[in-house]
Amino acid sequence: MKWATRPDVHVDRAACAWLIRRFVDPDAEFVFSDPAAVPAGATPFDMRGAALGHHQGQCSFETALASFGLDDDPALEEIGRIVHEADLADERYDAPAAAGLDVLIRGLTLTSGSDHDTLTITGRLFDGLYEHTRRQLMTGRPPA
Amino acid sequence: MGMSQPEDWVLLAYRLPRVPSTPRSAVWRKLKRLGVAWLGDGLVALPADPRTREQLEWVAEDVTDHGGEAILWLGRPLGASAISAVVSRMTAAIAAEYDAVAAEAAAMRIADAAARRRAVARLRRELHRIQGRDFFTCPQREAARRAVEHLAAADPARTPA
Repeated sequence: MKWATRPDVHVDRAACAWLIRRFVDPDAEFVFSDPAAVPAGATPFDMRGAALGHHQGQCSFETALASFGLDDDPALEEIGRIVHEADLADERYDAPAAAGLDVLIRGLTLTSGSDHDTLTITGRLFDGLYEHTRRQLMTGRPPA
Repeated sequence: MGMSQPEDWVLLAYRLPRVPSTPRSAVWRKLKRLGVAWLGDGLVALPADPRTREQLEWVAEDVTDHGGEAILWLGRPLGASAISAVVSRMTAAIAAEYDAVAAEAAAMRIADAAARRRAVARLRRELHRIQGRDFFTCPQREAARRAVEHLAAADPARTPA
């Protein structure tokens, strides 16, 4: 399937792309366009007017979790809180990892050659964050 | 952040029903946190960059989600003096926030060690919040930062205060 989002991806779009590719559509193809120029047949995300966007005070990743029925995974829920704070910083949640994630991804977008490049690296970042979060929830302690 | 004289501004013109008042105040709080310039009733602006543009886009989405009307504009003011008044107003508001942090850090120096540590943690977070909406690198930032770090270093066990 084709999925469309705005260019110059940051944390919320990177997190959504990772979620889509890992849990929803392993063959996902991402295109980057303005909200007005989404290609026919592509599902838009993290854009104004998209169902997979910011709604009811939630970031697009949180909206996507609920919409894909993935909100019963506590590790994904926790990542949702981190992405929320990295993206919105409204202090709804206590998510100290958010500040670091925000800085890392912003820095990455400054040096990366393309949005596809960025998503390749952030995909691995989120794989690691997911594994870390899962283990922490299992043992009640951060993995050593 | 760090821009001295922004040329382009992103503007949000919005209208929300008076009732219910909850979405209105939620939008107001969001705009306040973003540090917007209040240009008029239902018209706010931020120096344009990809981040501020996105921030206002999501506020616009919020407004339309609650049955309101929101239009985003990209604008360049015609007339430097009018805009410098707006910039001064924004800077003065941020300076007052920094001054409040500095004053509180100074006042906490006589508190006991545990209260000082809690104050340091809270004031560092507060500084971080203010910095996020300090678009013109307000000179008071450094003084506030130093006041908080001074408080952090004021540990009588190691350095006599």
